[in-house]
Amino acid sequence: MRKTIVIILAVLFMIPVFWTVTSSFKSMSEIYKYPPTIFPKKISFEGYINIFKQSNFMRYLYNTLFVAIISTIITVFLCVSLGYGLAKGTFRHKDFFTEIVVITLFVTAQIIMVPLFVIIKQLGLMDSLWGLIIPAVFTPTGAFTAIQYMKDLPDEFLESAKVDGANEWQIFVKIVIPLSKPLIASLAIFSFTWRWNDFVLPLIVINSGKNFTIQLALATLQGQYGIPLNEILAFSVMSIIPTLIIFLLFQNLFMKGLSAGGLKY
Amino acid sequence: MKELKIVKNRFIFTIPAFVFHFLFYILPIILMIVLSFFSWDLLSPMKYVGLRNFSQLMKDKWFWNSIIVSFKYTFLAVPIIFVVSLILGVLLQEEDRFSKIMRVFFYWPYMIPMVAAGTMWKWLFSRNFGLVNYIITSMGFKPVDWLDNPTLALFTIVLVQVWVLAGFMMMLFIVGLQAIPEEFYEAASIDGATKFQKFWYITLPLLKNTNISVITLSIANCFRNFTIAYIMTTGGPGYATTVAPLYVYQKAFTDFRLGYASAGSLIVLLISFVIAYTVRKVQEREIEGGKI
Repeated sequence: MRKTIVIILAVLFMIPVFWTVTSSFKSMSEIYKYPPTIFPKKISFEGYINIFKQSNFMRYLYNTLFVAIISTIITVFLCVSLGYGLAKGTFRHKDFFTEIVVITLFVTAQIIMVPLFVIIKQLGLMDSLWGLIIPAVFTPTGAFTAIQYMKDLPDEFLESAKVDGANEWQIFVKIVIPLSKPLIASLAIFSFTWRWNDFVLPLIVINSGKNFTIQLALATLQGQYGIPLNEILAFSVMSIIPTLIIFLLFQNLFMKGLSAGGLKY
Repeated sequence: MKELKIVKNRFIFTIPAFVFHFLFYILPIILMIVLSFFSWDLLSPMKYVGLRNFSQLMKDKWFWNSIIVSFKYTFLAVPIIFVVSLILGVLLQEEDRFSKIMRVFFYWPYMIPMVAAGTMWKWLFSRNFGLVNYIITSMGFKPVDWLDNPTLALFTIVLVQVWVLAGFMMMLFIVGLQAIPEEFYEAASIDGATKFQKFWYITLPLLKNTNISVITLSIANCFRNFTIAYIMTTGGPGYATTVAPLYVYQKAFTDFRLGYASAGSLIVLLISFVIAYTVRKVQEREIEGGKI
């Protein structure tokens, strides 16, 4: 009984994906046929071949990977370092500094896109991939997670190193970073996914086609006339594969990991 | 032995992050407030206009319309998300193989880029070639204008929003449900409680903290989302699905009225703070007066 209900619900949830994937393997004549075929009568790779031949898919893929990988590296460093400083430091107004990180959990690009646009323009980052990286490397969610994680690290580890005569930087590199492996793993995976899926920032920063990310290209493609539907659907399928692979590999991390405090950004 | 207490400043470790935090979170908010008192189209110099942007916004019929659309969107989506994710959470709370596998199907939509999600649903609901209308017509009904009918279009994008968020919220419920001690249910069973009674009198009240997170996070996510509407309807038909962030986006990047758009975003930000604050207060009161 329970299993039947769950399976029915799962089938309902997967219909859009199923319908997109099967349709993406239809030829143009079959996709507009009525009544529609559930499975393609003849499997056609037309859509997939065309996105490689006619649109700059490889370029978009490169751009997106570049942005996602570089920002992830910086994000991990910023968050781990910030979390360590805020959780294990003893400077003045520490609580205030923690509080302003927490408050910005509620501020997302959609809300501040106008001033963000102005700042990115002033920094000369418009229409460049760095304009997608630099404004996004700090994420309040990641910072918050790092602070929580660092608070739970036992002080004894740090103090014993201090006795051994290690300086602050050595403690951070040799003790804190190795102890933060689980944190670093989840920050990296989340950050990569956020950047891969991001749409709002590319929408306001990027103008020229050569700098499109995959998501921006997919959105723009749909606004143009005469782009064959099977191409758009093939593009959608391609755009969800990388995060699907990461998701399947790190399922547990995703579902339990940041769930507790996670906002999407 | 003398106790060795090491006090370390370590402020230096926070500096890199706070530079970015200031530049891209704090500064934008300050700038947004400043810009809202100016008129600026990017080309000509900025002109101080005092409160004119705000007084114009007050009279801007389509701005208020977009706020109302956002409210409808949020308050339609949030209860559905709550119920669907609670049901999923209850059904999949066990740590058995079946549950673990099935959770993936419900959580995955949250991982799908929203642009791709919107594209998929648009195709599913396509008037002439979509699967949904095919099923409807083959049962003898007339095809439905899922995205071209002003009333229905809002429901359709709400449905997509539910699909995106439900699995994520399900995980919060699962974590919450697993934290409820088994003894509570055992005691109730001895007293002869039915399944429904157990759920109503034990599970729901004990989930109060989870409920708060689910509702607050859902409101925050829905009120600010404009990608789904942007992809599926671009705000149409007419202004029927133009949510507030989308309206602000259009004012800024289609009409190039940056000051005006800043004033609009500021109001949206204030409204979302007020909602979050009210929800928090109401729930805090409930917890204080609650059964826990």
